[in-house]
Amino acid sequence: MIELVHLRKEYDDVLAVDDLTLTIPQGEIFGLIGPNGAGKTTTIRMASGLLRPTLGQALIAGVDVAQEPERAQQYIGYLADFFAVYEDLKVWEYLDYFAHAYKLPESEIPARITEVIAQVNLEVKRDALIRGLSRGMKQRLGIARAIIHRPKVMLLDEPASGLDPKARLELRNLLRSLRDQGATILISSHILTELEGFCTSIGIMERGRLVRSGSIEEVTAAAASSTRLVRLSWAGDSLAVVEEKLRNDPRVSEVDLAAGGGSFHFGGPEPDLAPVLASLVAANVKVTSFGEIKQTVEEIYMKLSTHEVM
Amino acid sequence: MPRFWTNPEFVRHRRAELRPVRAVTVAVVVILTCVLLWLACWSYEQSLLESARMGAAVYATEAWKQRLADLQQQCTTRTWLLFYHWLVGLQGVALTFWTLFSCAQSVSGERDRKTWDFQRTTRLTPSEILIGKLLGEPVLMYFAVLSAAPATLIAGLAGGLSFGTVLSVFVFLAVTSLFLGLGGMWLSTLLESRTRGVGLIGALALYVFTLGIYGMRQSGLPGLAAISPLAGISDLLSGDSSMNRVAPVLFGREIPWLLMSILLCCSFSAWLALMLIRNLKRDYPDIRPLSRWQAVGCAAFLNFLIYALLSPAYKVGIEGRVGWFPDSKTVALFAVAMNGLILFLMGLATLTPQERLKVWRRKSATGKSAVFADDGLPGPWLGISAIVAYALMVWGLLAWDHALPLDISTLQAAAIRLLLVLVFVTRDVLFLQWCMLTRLRQPIVKGVLFLGLYYAAAAVMTGLATVSGQEAAHWVLALLTPVQVFDSNVKGAAFPPATYVGLLLQIGVMGTIRSAITSRLRRPVQSLLSV
Repeated sequence: MIELVHLRKEYDDVLAVDDLTLTIPQGEIFGLIGPNGAGKTTTIRMASGLLRPTLGQALIAGVDVAQEPERAQQYIGYLADFFAVYEDLKVWEYLDYFAHAYKLPESEIPARITEVIAQVNLEVKRDALIRGLSRGMKQRLGIARAIIHRPKVMLLDEPASGLDPKARLELRNLLRSLRDQGATILISSHILTELEGFCTSIGIMERGRLVRSGSIEEVTAAAASSTRLVRLSWAGDSLAVVEEKLRNDPRVSEVDLAAGGGSFHFGGPEPDLAPVLASLVAANVKVTSFGEIKQTVEEIYMKLSTHEVM
Repeated sequence: MPRFWTNPEFVRHRRAELRPVRAVTVAVVVILTCVLLWLACWSYEQSLLESARMGAAVYATEAWKQRLADLQQQCTTRTWLLFYHWLVGLQGVALTFWTLFSCAQSVSGERDRKTWDFQRTTRLTPSEILIGKLLGEPVLMYFAVLSAAPATLIAGLAGGLSFGTVLSVFVFLAVTSLFLGLGGMWLSTLLESRTRGVGLIGALALYVFTLGIYGMRQSGLPGLAAISPLAGISDLLSGDSSMNRVAPVLFGREIPWLLMSILLCCSFSAWLALMLIRNLKRDYPDIRPLSRWQAVGCAAFLNFLIYALLSPAYKVGIEGRVGWFPDSKTVALFAVAMNGLILFLMGLATLTPQERLKVWRRKSATGKSAVFADDGLPGPWLGISAIVAYALMVWGLLAWDHALPLDISTLQAAAIRLLLVLVFVTRDVLFLQWCMLTRLRQPIVKGVLFLGLYYAAAAVMTGLATVSGQEAAHWVLALLTPVQVFDSNVKGAAFPPATYVGLLLQIGVMGTIRSAITSRLRRPVQSLLSV
């Protein structure tokens, strides 16, 4: 659905995006992560047709954004980190303007406006002037604008910056429901917790290059060290037994135990952890919890990134 | 053709600016103004009538009695005519001023409010945005003029003007304000949000320029004055009674000012619209007014205008022809001088951004791009424009041969002159292109300032050389500037040797600048991986 082919962007003497190739299939939520200045915004602006690439192509639903911008725009919903709106319009007028600007069929527009206003919980403000809305409401209106034409692709550049926690949650839920309806979403952020448990795949950008990309599992596997971090806890006074059992296993390292619990690194595949647990139970250790600690997006990023910016 | 009143951008402006309360207020203010204006006109005419009555009573001569009778008979008509003149004058000023200034903030204002990107990512085409903004930004003033339209129409007809004249004035106002609106919008497109104030100053300058061009009525190109709103209105309102009436000339034939205004405003508007449609949805650094072929076309159009609007001599006096263009040599000299300006403007309009120029260099290094590519250096295209300009000059001078006899030496001298101008302009444009590859902030502005400094230095050096003698001064001038182009004593190609030496020197300078550009383009970009 989103295809970026050898994208390159130069600003005078600086290379902002270098030979970026990326394919995001339909229904994916792709998180583009990286530090400020890594080239995320430039990439999204090129994909949305706002910026002309120096070289390469950005294809949205098979349409070259640079060659056929008006046709490509019918598939794109673009949302930036700022929510500028026309203050002198009413809420419904603002959405009506964009519905017409996206050339929705005239007969569909009133119903669509009502639907979108309901989606962002602005029903009571439908006839209010935008200049009287709170910042949060304006942000929700901005989201409504981006989805008014039922885009197949959402390009979101730091969409949650400046949003309060409730609005962030609402945004996530909205994006999930859009994904469920078949939309493909490319979202950039440097706040990694924003993307946790939400993206189906991620790409890490640094200094204009895509350092790593793929599904969360693939990237996790690539980022994983040769050992797994395992955390356990037990009841009673079994510290010595646990320590002895673990140290006797050649695949166990970095044992860090205290009374009642601790962690260790395990150098084997996940199924091989079962015998380790079995040996502890067999030694009468009252294990209350035992399991591998999965890496967060933040940890993956910290491992893969060299934290370099332009 | 899409209906403009359903254009989303127009509808947005109409909704925002013409809410019912505001619309009613504007209409009421307009009606009140009309009433007050009519009363003022009536009062003025009554005071004239009263003076005439007093004069007739005191002097009791036939002349005074006749004057009183005339005034009494024409009082009503004169009152309405005066009222009409005031209405049209006020509407003309308000409409042109408001349209220009509101359009001059249209795009830069959106950039300022950060709403422009959202508009660019819609499916609105550049022409839809253009029409929506052009008609939408000044919608309040259009409404005010529409509110005053019935009063204007009644006043004009009651004032003794024909329906056609009244209608013509409306058409003229509409065409002029749309032309100025396009000019304002183009200015706005060229400005980033932070320079919005500069945009307003630019709009003011443009307004003063369009008013000032009215002075061209007495020039060798009187038709150019038709760009000014003053020309058409004063002609329409003064009728045939005005003294020293000068009509514009198109291909040697006098035509009405209104027609000339419409022709000029429409043709210049078409070029502005072309530039806007080409650039409206582009990112700011990617804006380039015209493609290379379009720039050649624009240069040809401007050259064509010179010969189409030419008025060879507006007066034939005792000492022969008087005016700007007494002979074909002067016309050729004027055309060469104008081409210096036209080629420079064309060069400015076709400067290539650094990013595109680098891509062109890489492609041309692998044989994938040619010298005449759209992203290449502007030099070769200036050459094409100069050739087209010369061809038009030959055509124009031959066409005017019946009024201004042409001899071959004029064409020979014009060819050398145009070559000189081309070389100097190309050198200057290449210098500006080089400035764009440096890290200068606002490289074009600074480049133009450097060029100004260069020519000032050349003038000082010429002044110093004058101490050694006229010959030395001539050499300095010829080597450093294209001033010798304007030496009207030269016949054919017989320019002094210094001219040709200067020409060779400047070709050498051009080569040096070209090398500097190439070496700049060869510099690798700061790869983020190697920082």
